Amino acid sequence: MTDTLIQDIDARLARAAVDVVVSNDAQALDDLRTALEGLAVVLEAAGLPGLEELAGIVRRASAIATKSDLLTTVQIVDAAWTEWKTALEVQDVGRASGPVDAPMPALPALDLAAPEGAGHTVEADVEALRMDPELSGMFIAEALDHLSSIEATVLELESHPTDSKLLNDVFRPFHTVKGNSGALGVQTVQELAHKVENLLDLCRSGAHQVGPAEIDVILKSVDVLTALITDIGNRLAGEPGQDLEPDRQQLMHHVDQVAAGGGAPAAADTAIVAEAAMAAGATGAVTPEPAARASQRRQDDASVKVDTRKLDNLVDMVGELVIVQSIIYEDPELQRVADERLTRNLAQLRRITGELQRNAMSMRMVPIKQTFQKMARLVRDLGKKSGKMVDLVLEGEETELDRKVVEEINDPLMHMVRNSCDHGIEDAETRVGAGKRAEGRLTLSAYHESGNIVIEIADDGGGLNTEKILRKAVERGLVAPDADLSPAEIHQLIFRPGFSTADQITEISGRGVGMDVVRRNIDALRGRIDIQSTPGQGSVFSIKLPLTLAIVDGLLLRVGEERFVLPTFSVRESLRPRQEHVHTVHGQPCMVQVREHLIPLVRLDELLGIGRADIAHAWEGTVVVVDDDGRLAAVLVDELLGKQEVVIKSLGDQFKEVRGVAGGAILGDGRIGLILDGGSIVTLTRGGMSRAA
Amino acid sequence: MSIAGKYLTFALGEEEYGLPVLKVREIIKLMDITAVPQVPGHVKGVINLRGKVIPVVDLRLKFGFHSQDYTERTCIIVVEVALAASSVMMGMVVDSVSEVLNIGEAEIEQTPEFGERVTTDYIKAMAKVKGRVKILLDLDRVLGAEGTVALQAA
Repeated sequence: MTDTLIQDIDARLARAAVDVVVSNDAQALDDLRTALEGLAVVLEAAGLPGLEELAGIVRRASAIATKSDLLTTVQIVDAAWTEWKTALEVQDVGRASGPVDAPMPALPALDLAAPEGAGHTVEADVEALRMDPELSGMFIAEALDHLSSIEATVLELESHPTDSKLLNDVFRPFHTVKGNSGALGVQTVQELAHKVENLLDLCRSGAHQVGPAEIDVILKSVDVLTALITDIGNRLAGEPGQDLEPDRQQLMHHVDQVAAGGGAPAAADTAIVAEAAMAAGATGAVTPEPAARASQRRQDDASVKVDTRKLDNLVDMVGELVIVQSIIYEDPELQRVADERLTRNLAQLRRITGELQRNAMSMRMVPIKQTFQKMARLVRDLGKKSGKMVDLVLEGEETELDRKVVEEINDPLMHMVRNSCDHGIEDAETRVGAGKRAEGRLTLSAYHESGNIVIEIADDGGGLNTEKILRKAVERGLVAPDADLSPAEIHQLIFRPGFSTADQITEISGRGVGMDVVRRNIDALRGRIDIQSTPGQGSVFSIKLPLTLAIVDGLLLRVGEERFVLPTFSVRESLRPRQEHVHTVHGQPCMVQVREHLIPLVRLDELLGIGRADIAHAWEGTVVVVDDDGRLAAVLVDELLGKQEVVIKSLGDQFKEVRGVAGGAILGDGRIGLILDGGSIVTLTRGGMSRAA
Repeated sequence: MSIAGKYLTFALGEEEYGLPVLKVREIIKLMDITAVPQVPGHVKGVINLRGKVIPVVDLRLKFGFHSQDYTERTCIIVVEVALAASSVMMGMVVDSVSEVLNIGEAEIEQTPEFGERVTTDYIKAMAKVKGRVKILLDLDRVLGAEGTVALQAA
């Protein structure tokens, strides 16, 4: 009886916490009150010792709960409840030997302040969260979201330290993170967030001034909180955790110090404000375009969070719909019908499904803004570390691209921004000596160009030093000493593995990993990277990416009954070979001459061991020349069926070891055609031939 | 977990097999299967199940029966299989689907030892229903991490 009661109350409390988190502002308070009233009734009805008192606490909490303290309220009720449960356990143990009516412990007083105290451990937090995986997943995702939004706002606050609206924008998410973590018993997070919130509150009230020290400590808190929450998430997933406790303790101490000291009253000293603003500007603050700034403030745009799996499902279903639609549209029976109304309706259906597909696709698109803003933080930190002064200009933050691309582009972009700050932009003295402004300028821009998206990283530094690059490349044995290379070819050398020109290895970059990784990442996104560099004036790195990873332009190939899709970006050309151009070794055709070059020839059916080609001789079929970064292979197929845009589907983890195949595409008739992977096709064809060949 | 419960039974050759109904997502008519290179022979390839790409295994070949031309009764049972970290949908080609049976505790017998002649890893238990023996499969073993799915490029 008691057990079921306890379970019921546990469930109600969890439910209340969920309600508070998920319901909208207007509803949340009502929902909570309803939940608490219900709980009080259950408690009173139970007629167990101490529960009446607990019901009283619940009623009081419900009555004084305000909008801003919803979660704290739940948390307090929860704490009181937990206390009672513990007491009950103690009683249970004592029941065997002593009288049942042992005194109930005093219930905690209703205190709406956040609990303080040391000794919170991340292990305890993880245990607390484990109780409700769904809720904790939501908490983690939301908290990380809030933190990343704080970061962007803090950077803006740095440039406008007196803007109270910005200060509020920073305060609110900290408050939410504190409240949510408190409600779920994530005390390490709550304690830290609470301290920062205190500091921010002092600033809001005007008792404290926002200066560089405050900005620094807030940014650091964002980092540590992000690390803490990520770590908790990892631990929940069963991965090993990190020891972040020293960082946390140190930071909390630091926050207290900042909050205690330097508390010059707001109105007293405007010079500090100006100074802070200047310091902020000089160390690499963002200078967003006015338009972007305005739009950043427009946070009221309603949006809904959707599980990406649901979204992918929707996109899948819409893809199916489009296929069915085109099957119906091209049905020979229907084609014969010459009814005007039917034709019109079919055309309408076609238009709507097309529109629906475009819409579904666009839901996967997100603006690149967040990624760019992370770079703003990076430039600021790099500037501080290296003592260089760098202005970061962001352009086209609203440009949208596939969510997956946005995720994947983050690391390469970070490497490149680092490189530009470290190697590109000179120190102030050199710059002034060269007649430039002392502050370097780094421009990050994104824009659309003919179905692609271009991201540019432009600096006004010294430009790539071709002589130095060539010398280093020769030293490292990457090129022959007597090689005659054009400047563009020399620029490309920086993408070779093991290349680094930094005179000294700095903390920031220069370990010889970086640009080759960048190149690999961008290749994986089916993108291209180009460099334009003018000595003394700076360099522009432009990354050209497909708008989405979901669709690829391909050639549809037929081999017997099988059809394959070969992405056009890995095709150099296709041709029907002449008999005299097909060369045999031991009677087997194995080379085809294309103009001056001999290219290894392979039959696709034999290479993959799938299907059987109709053609008997190579010169009866079509040869597609596959180009992987200059390595070529000639692939023989029955015929080329045409060009087609296809939606790429993964074949799943089970097939990830399969070589030569990049995925599957659902073709016009609903069957799956394998999408070939140009790179591994070339590798398979050329067997053990080295990449340098 | 008790072994008793509802089972979907299907035929392979002369034998009758059973799968827990809860694992079955749907039963579809045989459709064109796209072959995938470098996989064991019993992995027939992939099909498009309403926009999802799912792998298909020929259970005949998997269990070492000789292969047989597909007939009108041949179908694909789509099941959900637990892998190491997640669960995936997979298709199994079987000769024909029979019925859904409620198999009670009393009808279930432990898998006898067959010695070295027969692998019994995939078999959860045997059931005798109306004088016929149904072999109850442990699906996660048949198709799970240790089975077909670890398709190393051979």
